[in-house]
Amino acid sequence: MICNLKHFGLGAAAAASLWAGSALAQEETIKVGVLHSLSGTMAISETTLKDAVLMMIDEQNKKGGVLGKKLEPVVVDPASDWPLFAEKARELVASDNVSVVFGCWTSVSRKSVLPVFEELNSILFYPVQYEGQESQRNVFYTGAAPNQQAIPAVDYLMNEEGVERWVLAGTDYVYPRTTNQILEAYLKMKGVAPEDIMINYTPFGHSDWQTIVSDIKAFGSAGKKTAVVSTINGDANVPFYKELANQGVSAEDIPVVAFSVGEEELAGLDTAPLVGHLAAWNYFMSVDTPENDEFIEKWHAFIKNDDRVTNDPMEATYIGFNMWVKAVEAAGTTETDAVLDNMIGVAVPNLTGGISSMGANHHITKPVLIGEIQDDGQIETVWETPGLVLGDEWSDYLPESKDLISDWRAPMSCGNFNVATGKCGGTAAN
Amino acid sequence: MRILLTLTVWFGLLLASAASAQSLEDLARQLPEGSFNDRAEVVAKIGATGDDRAVGLLNALGEGELRVREADGAVIQVKGRGSKAVGYDPLTGDELGPVGSGSTESIRVNNSLRRAVRAAIGLLTLSSPDAGKRLAAANTAFAAPDPEQIEALDTAIAKEGDAAVRTAMEQARAAAVLASDAPGAEKVAAIGIVARRGGTDALTVLNPYRGDADAPVAEAADKAIAGIERAQQLWNVGQNVWFGLSLGSVLLLAAVGLAITFGVMGVINMAHGELIMIGAYTTYVTQQVIRTSFPGLFDWSLLIAAPLAFLVAGAIGVAIERFIVRFLYGRALETLLATWGVSLILQQLVRTFFGPSNREVGNPSWMSGAFPLGGLSITWNRFYIVIFAVAIFVGLLLLLKRTLFGLQMRAVTQNRPMASEMGIRTARVDALTFGLGAGIAGLAGVALSQIDNVSPNLGQSYIIDSFLVVVFGGAGNLWGTFAAAFTLGVANKFMEPFVGAVLAKILILVFIILFIQKRPRGLFPTRGRAVEG
Amino acid sequence: MASTSFIDRRLGVFLALLAVVTVGVPLANTALSPESGLHVPTYMLSLIGKYLCYALLAVALDLVWGYCGILSLGHGAFFALGGYAMGMHLMRQIGSRGAYGNPVLPDFMVFLGYEKLPWFWHGFDMFWFACLMVLLAPGLLAFVFGWFAFRSRVTGVYLSIITQAMTYALLLAFFRNEMGFGGNNGLTDFKDVLGFSLSSDGTRVTLFVLSALALGGGLLVGRWITMTKFGKVLVGVRDAESRTRFLGYRVEQFKLFVFTVSAMMAGVAGALYVPQVGIINPGEFSPANSIEIVIWVALGGRGTLVGAALGALIVVAAKSWLTSAFPDAWLYALGLMFILVTIFLPQGVLGLIEKLGRGRREQPEPEAVEAEA
Repeated sequence: MICNLKHFGLGAAAAASLWAGSALAQEETIKVGVLHSLSGTMAISETTLKDAVLMMIDEQNKKGGVLGKKLEPVVVDPASDWPLFAEKARELVASDNVSVVFGCWTSVSRKSVLPVFEELNSILFYPVQYEGQESQRNVFYTGAAPNQQAIPAVDYLMNEEGVERWVLAGTDYVYPRTTNQILEAYLKMKGVAPEDIMINYTPFGHSDWQTIVSDIKAFGSAGKKTAVVSTINGDANVPFYKELANQGVSAEDIPVVAFSVGEEELAGLDTAPLVGHLAAWNYFMSVDTPENDEFIEKWHAFIKNDDRVTNDPMEATYIGFNMWVKAVEAAGTTETDAVLDNMIGVAVPNLTGGISSMGANHHITKPVLIGEIQDDGQIETVWETPGLVLGDEWSDYLPESKDLISDWRAPMSCGNFNVATGKCGGTAAN
Repeated sequence: MRILLTLTVWFGLLLASAASAQSLEDLARQLPEGSFNDRAEVVAKIGATGDDRAVGLLNALGEGELRVREADGAVIQVKGRGSKAVGYDPLTGDELGPVGSGSTESIRVNNSLRRAVRAAIGLLTLSSPDAGKRLAAANTAFAAPDPEQIEALDTAIAKEGDAAVRTAMEQARAAAVLASDAPGAEKVAAIGIVARRGGTDALTVLNPYRGDADAPVAEAADKAIAGIERAQQLWNVGQNVWFGLSLGSVLLLAAVGLAITFGVMGVINMAHGELIMIGAYTTYVTQQVIRTSFPGLFDWSLLIAAPLAFLVAGAIGVAIERFIVRFLYGRALETLLATWGVSLILQQLVRTFFGPSNREVGNPSWMSGAFPLGGLSITWNRFYIVIFAVAIFVGLLLLLKRTLFGLQMRAVTQNRPMASEMGIRTARVDALTFGLGAGIAGLAGVALSQIDNVSPNLGQSYIIDSFLVVVFGGAGNLWGTFAAAFTLGVANKFMEPFVGAVLAKILILVFIILFIQKRPRGLFPTRGRAVEG
Repeated sequence: MASTSFIDRRLGVFLALLAVVTVGVPLANTALSPESGLHVPTYMLSLIGKYLCYALLAVALDLVWGYCGILSLGHGAFFALGGYAMGMHLMRQIGSRGAYGNPVLPDFMVFLGYEKLPWFWHGFDMFWFACLMVLLAPGLLAFVFGWFAFRSRVTGVYLSIITQAMTYALLLAFFRNEMGFGGNNGLTDFKDVLGFSLSSDGTRVTLFVLSALALGGGLLVGRWITMTKFGKVLVGVRDAESRTRFLGYRVEQFKLFVFTVSAMMAGVAGALYVPQVGIINPGEFSPANSIEIVIWVALGGRGTLVGAALGALIVVAAKSWLTSAFPDAWLYALGLMFILVTIFLPQGVLGLIEKLGRGRREQPEPEAVEAEA
């Protein structure tokens, strides 16, 4: 059997070298890794991002590639299996020699690959809204941090809708836990009484929402304007919204603002009963700008289906990809350290009509949009921040992180610098 | 606006006040401008005009159909999308011809504006000839008490003939009185009227007066609230039973097909969940065809999809039996491996053909919304699913007990060689039995498409629960599956309010593990082929 | 007739090959230059190390399924518990190097607002204690679970389903952030073990060798259990439980012993797995993972120990390769493989290999007992 195993090892190595060989024979390329689940529970969300990266690569190659070389995608399927994410990341970097990886969706998949990128000194672009509380030298976070989604949404509800009573409902994992903790601290700071906050966690893929929706209705009967802040994860949303609609919870009575529900999720729903429920993102497909029109047109052409929607993580992928291209061109090489040095400060147009730039904390500046769900499955902007907001990696509203900052520019080069003690808290940069 | 004015006193008054301000045409032109709050005021003014044309205008605004024509800045109503978009005059309803894309800009509506629209329409429809509309208007007024409406409500109450509508109007008036600066005694009386309505709505209105500065008012409110809450606690028990039955019916649907393939035939069918998924996707495809070709039949889509799902899933089941499972009889545990392989392939097939994301399966109108039953609110979709589950179960029992096929199936299960001797084509019966179990899984998929995601992962989320239900009930016994599904459903829902959804589920699992120790063959043990490990 | 000796031909060949790999792969990794065609890159070494842990897990399951007829659909739980025990030690080793710099509390506890370490985390800062828990946590769970189940004579599919319920309940429990095991994210961001950095090649090689030794050891333990008179009784239990009971054997105790030993073996596999992949999370408890273990054993050849290890290596290697080579279609290949092997190779891959070998040597294999489930 060891023969067998070795066979496999050699076989794989041979296949890899053959692949590399044939690529060399044509021309030298820059390899781009795509690490998104194509099967398993997360395939629902991540497959679209794989296609988005492939489209961006395609577009870039039409423009002549980068540094005169064509880009070559290397797609693998980590199958929604977190240890497999680490294995595949290692394979992409160590064996396929990719220059950069676009990938991950869930926090746990990102946590699983972090040590790999750190150890092998490669670059990961992470395009999904997340809980923050992290800044790593080799990772660029192009999705929203809590201050780019949650806090403006709560402000909007408080000021425009006069909400006084809050249900914080989420799936029981780290993103909702952290976001709700930040929101709870924020709401209390704004003078909301503890009894006016209800926090509820449900498991992944929760499908029976009868009890919880009726609890929400009961909570909303205290005579104060009530809203639900939902950090419910992808799969569980469809049954949640169906139950809301059927139990007659309309947006005019108890609006639900969601941070994980975008156009892609709404495509699986009849949105007519949901009109008016809210979503907070940094991009909506309905945004009316020439850049966005062009992006949607290219997407439809690439995917060969005019009904496909675009969403916020796709825009984050778009921004991240363009930033990487620009930094590589500035550095004149795809070598990791040079690209890292050139990434901070890179500015590219986003799809909402502004220019997003990469901060020293490896997070980007974006506008925050609050939108209401329409009956055609789109989300229309009802409010937006006047300017762009920089992602805040360490939340100011949590006692354990309020003293931490991140700055990857020399001489600090630290992801968790404690301004109170004046020391770089964790492991210093390599 | 001088046309068609109704001859009521308050209407006349309103008319006078509105006339002194602005005309409906002027107000309509103001709709696109200003902040949401400014525009909410415009909406209130439109409501106050009392003009009959205002209802149509406000409805169009609420539906998001009002747009500004860029050429001349006129506010028009646009129906239809893309190339089919047609413009109308929002006030007269006259057709203005097709509207090119990009030639108009939408008038944004948000929740607060929608609330203003709802309130304004409520005010306008309080005297509608349609009793249903008047009731809706009264309920709107109740939910958003506004002292300014007292007068209008008084007028409406005075000429209301329908008792139910009248009561609702009186309750709305009481709620408005509570919100006004009326004297304490009047408010205490109002609290009594509101309290008689009961339920969550009344609580919403009463709760703010708990700590009212006026002591008698606060006291009355406290008492009324306590009374409503007592009644609600009782109803809560009923509500939990209902939630439990509803969850139980979902479990029953998911498990009953497995009770045939696994319970009766002894095949550890890991592809069972995927057969449910196939049923859900069949529903999706059926709805797509109906949407594009026969939109009028949409309300029938589920009834059309059900037999199709049964046939599609059943055919796949027969194929699985003929090509795979039949080689594995007598090797029960190995069917687990082969069917696991089948489940991977089916999942990936669906992913390849339909894509990995969720597909939209709509609720027909008769499955949307809820109806009250005493103090309970029962959603139609759950209600029909319970009925559907029980109907399938009864149908299956009849099939097994009353038909020739059922007899042959039981014969083959109990004693295969003897059944074969008697001339039963056992291979055919095996294939059809497996097909039956698979087909029922397909039917379950039709129902589950109404409450859950239709995605390639659909099956995965039901497979474990299905096995647990069948084993807990006692494999091979349909009544066991029935009892197990509802027991687990109700138990789960009674625990959920106390310990939360996750812990409730864990406790159920621990309970099953312990229960199997006591009764190692489940709730209703049977003798039969296979099942033995 | 090699089967009477302690190390039969089958085991001998496997152990010999394992020894070659144990020595050869690290050598090829460290001694040969990267340009050399035989060089094994470190990532490949870690990958094979991970496969070896899975192989040990498969051997553990084969011990209970292949030799005593207990089809456990919950062996992933024992693997994960062993992994968590090791993960908790590695977590405590991070000390103040975490993102928040808290010397005692792991990062996830800091941002979930824990004031102090939960009681069950105490002691894990000591390596010996963690090692003890690697054995005790799964062992104890298996003992208690088995004691109840075997005494009540829960058998067959019923037993399988409640083992599945067990791992499912644990999955849900470990997902809960209140449990204090890091919720969905599990335990990650490990730095070093016993002072050796986990990302250094030396540590990797050591872990690899340890995994190989553990697999060899597991096979020998399994062989010892099944070779003795004890083992013969077990096969009796598997093939005719009631008859064995009537012969006067306390069937429950036999089953309980093997079940517990097997769970501990799975725990060891988990403990070696965690430092090599760098993360342990509740996903390991998922029922699908446990079903996959069963598939490894069946595919390799049930009731042979060596076959189980072989099956695990084949399936996980195939999965690794297919997910890169055919990211969109690998599930078809894997699914088809399961179906074809089940139908055409009832004795598994090992059965096929030996049949081919036998064809040449015409030597009957006495131990290939046709096992009816």
